[in-house]
Amino acid sequence: MTYLDWAATTPPDSQILAQAAGIAVESFGNPSSNHKLGLEAKSVLELARRQLAAVLYAQTHGEKGHLIFTGGGSEADAIALLAVLRQAMNARRDGSIKRLHIVTTEIEHAAVYEEAHLLKALGLDLSFVKPESDGRVDPQKIAAAVEKDTALVAVMAVNNETGAIQRIAEIAQAITGAAAAFGRKSPRFHVDAVQALGKIAFDPQAAGVSSAAFSAHKIRGPRGVGALWVADGAPIEPLALGGGQEAGLRPGTESIQGAWAFAQAADAAAKSFDARMALARKLEARLLSGIAAIPGALALPSGRVAGDPRYSPFILSIAFPGLSGEVLVRALSDSGIAVSTGSACSSNSKRSGRRVIEAMGVAPRLALSAIRVSTGDLTTCAEIDIFLEAASDAYRRLKT
Amino acid sequence: MDAFYLIKIGEILLKLGNRKEFENRLRSQLNERFSKAGITHKIEMYPGRYFVTVPEENATDAEFILSRTPGVNGYARAIKTEKTVDAVLAAAIEVARERLSRGLVRFKAESRRSDKSFPLGSFELSAKIGEVVLGAFPQAKVDLHTPEFTINAEIRERAYVFADAEPGMRGLPVGSGGKGLLLLSGGIDSPVAGYMMARRGMSLEALYFHAYPYTSQEAQDKVIRLARILSTYAGKLVLWTVPFTEAQLKIKKDARMDLTTLMMRMGMMRVAHLLVPRIGANCIITGESVGQVASQTAENLRLTESLTDYPVLRPLCGMDKEDTVNMAKKIGSFDISILPYEDCCVLFSPKHPMLKAKLERETEAYNELNLEPLLVEALDKAERLEIE
Repeated sequence: MTYLDWAATTPPDSQILAQAAGIAVESFGNPSSNHKLGLEAKSVLELARRQLAAVLYAQTHGEKGHLIFTGGGSEADAIALLAVLRQAMNARRDGSIKRLHIVTTEIEHAAVYEEAHLLKALGLDLSFVKPESDGRVDPQKIAAAVEKDTALVAVMAVNNETGAIQRIAEIAQAITGAAAAFGRKSPRFHVDAVQALGKIAFDPQAAGVSSAAFSAHKIRGPRGVGALWVADGAPIEPLALGGGQEAGLRPGTESIQGAWAFAQAADAAAKSFDARMALARKLEARLLSGIAAIPGALALPSGRVAGDPRYSPFILSIAFPGLSGEVLVRALSDSGIAVSTGSACSSNSKRSGRRVIEAMGVAPRLALSAIRVSTGDLTTCAEIDIFLEAASDAYRRLKT
Repeated sequence: MDAFYLIKIGEILLKLGNRKEFENRLRSQLNERFSKAGITHKIEMYPGRYFVTVPEENATDAEFILSRTPGVNGYARAIKTEKTVDAVLAAAIEVARERLSRGLVRFKAESRRSDKSFPLGSFELSAKIGEVVLGAFPQAKVDLHTPEFTINAEIRERAYVFADAEPGMRGLPVGSGGKGLLLLSGGIDSPVAGYMMARRGMSLEALYFHAYPYTSQEAQDKVIRLARILSTYAGKLVLWTVPFTEAQLKIKKDARMDLTTLMMRMGMMRVAHLLVPRIGANCIITGESVGQVASQTAENLRLTESLTDYPVLRPLCGMDKEDTVNMAKKIGSFDISILPYEDCCVLFSPKHPMLKAKLERETEAYNELNLEPLLVEALDKAERLEIE
């Protein structure tokens, strides 16, 4: 199979996973236990935490904020978003605030977008900011959406369908400025950084955000483990409670092997960053020129060029006007090529249409024809060529 | 212990000359269904009443089958006793005990007596049943007008005592009405159309047009699930999946934009026409209903119908959409039909389809397309799946 769906998930690093299995068996103690086995397990867990933190704090080299392990990226997002409900409850109790407001964007991953809709249904006020036609959200528009009662702003770092890199540091500053104009301190700023980890230089501490979500399986780590970084001075009151593990934010006995494997995968991704980036740029250029040679096909957003710093080179959205993306995905799958229509997580949902692409102002019919091609460190130029040829053939044959 | 059921039949009773044939059909249908379910059973037939005995552990499955077999008007778990007053009264108390344990209180008793040698008349027997039930259960109350349950006693070749019958599917036994080829899509209507014709005694085979990759594997799986539901009513059925992509692409390429839907439907009807004689069917069944979508106008139906000389039965033709939906819910197909794997035919459907086809003009357009070779080829490649 020619695997070009790395943004959905990545082939796990078999060496790391094999070692992790050994750790699961050897260090099986409960890290909350006070006996030797428990302490041993705890030391593995804490080592993993320090290792992952070192990767995340690449720019600041600080030890500020804290990092907790979760059951995945979506859970990390949920912990940060649902905490607003505790805030709302506290505010109602002391009568300080009558309403709570959240700002997010139209291009968030379902893990944030659907959660935001839940919060809306539960009575909070929501503002959804649209991206510009290049797929990036204007920091000033985020600032303009901030109100006196805004409790949370959530913006993703790298879009999972278009690869558009959001200007997180600028947004953080703009939010602070907007809040100051109301005489308020800056609202919490949560960043879904699941597609950013290992793909762009993103240090949550340096960017000035309050919390950030990460996932292991997008960087060749195992499924079922993610992380939430929380800044000092921006404590989260979680909704799910239990045994107090992970600083009380994520109850449940920790997955030692998961945390360990996540840290190793992140470390490997950081060490290979420059080489992977160079490869991704090369693949991106080959893809873009190949697409340009297929009559009718076009990259979305249409202004994207090879080496464009506005986009992660690992992710590219391509439209094939007149052929539904879903149909092309099936046809390519029959030719042994794995791509997707967009977020794998939303291609199962009943919500029709292509929210993220349409939000950039792309006409629904064209948006429907888009597929996502995403590459990784094992992708080769030959695979890109295989894809281009098969897509070109299928498009010619099936276009209506 | 065995579970003993009394089966009521309805429409079969109206048959005169060939009633025996209908009865035999029903018997063989029941035999087939019980055997398929692996239930040892005994069927007894007396004029106007059938009985089936199954092991107690199969009671739930047996009731499932009885409720879904066309020709069965209703069924009731019954007690079979000897024809003595004491035995009948003892059985009546058992029947009452079961109903009372479900919190039902108000009751009446009804008796029928075809054996006139039984010592009590019908009226006297009913009164006696009321008396002993009231005596045995202080909470029971007689209510002749709005009873919560009825205790029935029938004195025939033996005596039977049972409470209210559960409704069956009614209609006629499958096979008595010949065989129909059902055009089955993944939508709401066609399974209901199949159900309705099965109830008229038709055995079914189903035809599904698969336009992969335009339609997904999930869409096909959905149709298989619908066929399975249908087969719980219609009995064994065969699902034919015909690959339709090439024909559809040809239509898209060569037909006039506003005619694409019509041409596609004509092509489908033609494939059905070719399949009917091969499977020994004698009609085509569709879920069409007048005015439901643009292609379903009387003019357009005339055109699609012109491609076959077999009768095209459209049991939903005069039905309101809401009625169809309610029926789909009742038979259990609705939740599957509304799964989101629709046919991606949206890319094929014109914005402004032809509403009032002219027979000669559009037939000419269809003939010019020269679809027939593609249709024959598609039918040759059809997959046959037996569903039980």
